[in-house]
Amino acid sequence: MNYTPIKLEDAATDVTIEDVKRARDRLLVQSHRAGKRRWALLWLLIGPGILVMLGENDGPSMISYAATGARYGIGFFLPFIALTFAMAFVIQEMTVRLGAVTKRGHAELIYERFGPFWGLFSMSDLVIGNMLTLVTEFIAIRAGLGFFGAPPALAVLAAFLVIVGVVSSQRYWTWERIVLGFAIFNLIFVPVAILAHPVSSEVVRSFFTWGPLPGGIGGGFLLLVMSNIGATVTPWMLFFQQSAVVDKGLTTADIRHGRFDTALGATLAAVAAIATLLATTPLFVHHVNPSSFQGADFAKALVPYVGNVGATLFALGLFEAGFVAALTISLSSAYAFGEVTGRPHSMNNSLREGWPFYAFLIVATSIAATLVLIPNAPLVFITLIVNVIAVLAMPPALVFLILLVNDREIMGEHANGGLSNFFSIAVTVFLILAGIIFGIATVFPHLFPS
Amino acid sequence: MNTIKTTEPMITPSKPMETAWVHEALEPDQLSTAKPQYGRRALNQRTRFLLWAMRVYLVLMVWIIVLEIQNAIKTRF
Repeated sequence: MNYTPIKLEDAATDVTIEDVKRARDRLLVQSHRAGKRRWALLWLLIGPGILVMLGENDGPSMISYAATGARYGIGFFLPFIALTFAMAFVIQEMTVRLGAVTKRGHAELIYERFGPFWGLFSMSDLVIGNMLTLVTEFIAIRAGLGFFGAPPALAVLAAFLVIVGVVSSQRYWTWERIVLGFAIFNLIFVPVAILAHPVSSEVVRSFFTWGPLPGGIGGGFLLLVMSNIGATVTPWMLFFQQSAVVDKGLTTADIRHGRFDTALGATLAAVAAIATLLATTPLFVHHVNPSSFQGADFAKALVPYVGNVGATLFALGLFEAGFVAALTISLSSAYAFGEVTGRPHSMNNSLREGWPFYAFLIVATSIAATLVLIPNAPLVFITLIVNVIAVLAMPPALVFLILLVNDREIMGEHANGGLSNFFSIAVTVFLILAGIIFGIATVFPHLFPS
Repeated sequence: MNTIKTTEPMITPSKPMETAWVHEALEPDQLSTAKPQYGRRALNQRTRFLLWAMRVYLVLMVWIIVLEIQNAIKTRF
């Protein structure tokens, strides 16, 4: 490893700056646990689960929920979205256990247990996918701020500078709290949904009846369902949460809180996603065709139904979704890079100690930001290929997750039990099949009825 | 003289005694320089088959992505 430890005279073991910062956080946790201060302890231990779930509610996802609301209105997709986040919880909970027990990130563990081929594959696959996803997040940032008249270059540059500023805190705790502060604004879609005045009885009924479903079950509907399932859990989420759990310093004693953190994140993300769908149902009711909508077009189209305030909040929400995802996705790439190459990979490292980690993060983000600003860059193609890469990359990531979480040599008593395996394997097989079908349908659209 | 109560010790790396609290606060494998290596996992036949299936899948995946890029280039030009 390329760490530069602080040499202390007569010290039994070398201690790095990263260790010192993490130890400070752990002391606080231990003192709150000993003092039985439950709420304070929960406050200290939440973070990775909420961030990963709200991070997944990124720019393209929110546009997808908006398009679903405008196309199908209140009905089948409300309970369906809740179900997809329940599946996300089943998958992400395993990364909490893996991180807390092994103290290693996902890429590091794959590298160590399955060798360099799979380790390097996982990293490069993740880094390429993340780089392209980052481009789509900057598209959302540009679109969201474009609603307020911000020139694209200014919008992208401002977001990039804030990302660099947050990263330069050189402390995981500070980074996490700042990003949590941004991420909570994902719920900005809730007031927009209220302004859209959805009929509450219809909303409640849809959760019991899983309907109505305008247009019935056709090829287009099935494709939309599969794309939603396939995009529920994306590879970066597995890598990010496990690495964040390790960087935060969670141990086996904290698994219960980590589980709660993930469940809370899934709930908040589901609420924001459902709110986005409800916010655009007036477009369905008034037969507005959203098929050619891009970026902030949804916000503009919503003005007659939710007013200027609602449309403004919608555009802000779009910006926030892209911005928070850019913060979390760029970090997951840097974690994987550091884990596989054996370089320092912690937000607790100083800039000097962890310069390759920070340099990788900043260079990846700046490339994505620059691509968005290049005139005539193939942004639509990038958005399409991102989906294909994400869903096709999921099967290996999920297979390794199941193999690792069942590896009793490293997981001991925290390995999956029979019931956990039943649910996790069922969800995994379901996600893999949906992802593969969606990937094939995207590349060979003529195979499926439109 | 005012005293400031703090829940964490002050860090003065020049003093050797200061490392003790770091070791107490962290579990041994949480220290960044002291992680034991797990080593390669012994693979049974089922896992080996699964990994080979994934290699085949990877070839298909790369083929699909290349095809998608080709289609996009054809459409663009």
